[in-house]
Amino acid sequence: MALEQVTEKNNDRSTTSTFFMLPNFVLSLIEHVLNQALKLDPKLSKKLNEVKELRLVVEVRDWQQTIQLVFADKKLHLYTAQSSDNADCMISADIDTLIALKNPAMLTQLIRQDKLDLQGDLNIAQTYSNAFSSLDIDWPEQLSKHIGDGPAQQLYLHLTSLKQQNSKVKKQLATTLTSLCQDELAITIHPLELEQFKQQNRVIKSQVAAIEQRINALLNIVTR
Amino acid sequence: MNETPQKTTHFGYKTVAENDKASMVADVFHSVAAKYDVMNDLMSFGVHRLWKRQTIASSGVRKGHHVLDLAGGTGDLTAKFSQLVGETGQVVLGDINSSMLKVGREKLHNLGLVGNIDYVQMNAEMLPFPDNSFDVITIAFGLRNVTDKDKALRSMYRILKPGGRLLVLEFSKPEHEVLSKAYDFYSFNLLPTMGKLVANDSESYKYLAESIRMHPDQDTLKAMMDDAGFEQTTYQNLTGGIVALHRGFKY
Repeated sequence: MALEQVTEKNNDRSTTSTFFMLPNFVLSLIEHVLNQALKLDPKLSKKLNEVKELRLVVEVRDWQQTIQLVFADKKLHLYTAQSSDNADCMISADIDTLIALKNPAMLTQLIRQDKLDLQGDLNIAQTYSNAFSSLDIDWPEQLSKHIGDGPAQQLYLHLTSLKQQNSKVKKQLATTLTSLCQDELAITIHPLELEQFKQQNRVIKSQVAAIEQRINALLNIVTR
Repeated sequence: MNETPQKTTHFGYKTVAENDKASMVADVFHSVAAKYDVMNDLMSFGVHRLWKRQTIASSGVRKGHHVLDLAGGTGDLTAKFSQLVGETGQVVLGDINSSMLKVGREKLHNLGLVGNIDYVQMNAEMLPFPDNSFDVITIAFGLRNVTDKDKALRSMYRILKPGGRLLVLEFSKPEHEVLSKAYDFYSFNLLPTMGKLVANDSESYKYLAESIRMHPDQDTLKAMMDDAGFEQTTYQNLTGGIVALHRGFKY
């Protein structure tokens, strides 16, 4: 952490100076957002009740941060963690791997691929993964509490169509950019050309291997 | 006739009779209790919440634990501990000052936190609990107001369970000279003015600034905890040492 200075004064005493308390600040914001999500999707609380008061410790390797997560008193509590002591379940992985856990089916696959270390009760990690992957907030319903049913539905439909248009434009832009790079500017090649190039490479490679074998055989005859 | 010389201690920068300090500190907190939370947010720009989060993060508190929040005041730490220990745990909010306890109890009741919290008016030097009673003891911004700190630390050690830990969150000595000077200017010039404007009490906030300067620095407090019997004592400077979080275990 750039904002944290860690000073070891001697073997039995460690002094950590945390000036801006940044990890705590960020975690308090995340905690607030998650607790808002809990309010907006009542099913989430029910799912997390299975792991009530159990401690999940998550080590984010590339951020060098360890976070503890507890669902207690119908709220999520997030704190920094010094170690995995007292954890009911501990996960250690890079942030990309943790994001991949949005799909609960990936959990065991990621463990097998050695991308994720898990100690303790697997069920706790699975429950959290399942709960957040199935997060379903009824936005029109939530909006209607503030602006009324009609406008909420209109706004929701408008935003949905905006989202669809946005993804359509993004897709179109990507296609245009690809064709510009391949056909107009000729700075990249077409995937088929790449495949053809690979095939040619493989043929040359096998021919080189055959020549190498023949040279070795001839060398053996000469040196005898 | 020879009179026994009266023992003295400090009350901010003043030297007072040891027996008088507790009541003088009590007067300060009776005076500020109603505006305590608002002033905390104002004085620390809200950072006291992050210092307290760090204390909870370091406490290792979990389901079923028995926790004593000493000098718990308006119950910020107790509120979180109460949620984390669950129905099978217990939190005691202890404070020597009845006004602070009253404000704390009202606040926690309004938050719907009932059932696993006890409120006890107590003196940290003579804690009214059996030996080995608590898994975690915290004292946040309270130790500097205690008359005999060594006695209080020994008392805390006595009532901790083996394996339990004490966390002392307290103002301390800034690590850098520049920060120290800026902090001094803030404490002695702006703080009493803010106290006057918000709580109509500049003297209490002058005492706050003075008592912080008279409080033992990081290494001295660590040595005091070691002397009281705590093991693996460490401290963590927060916000450049303006506040330090000391942690010690009983084995």
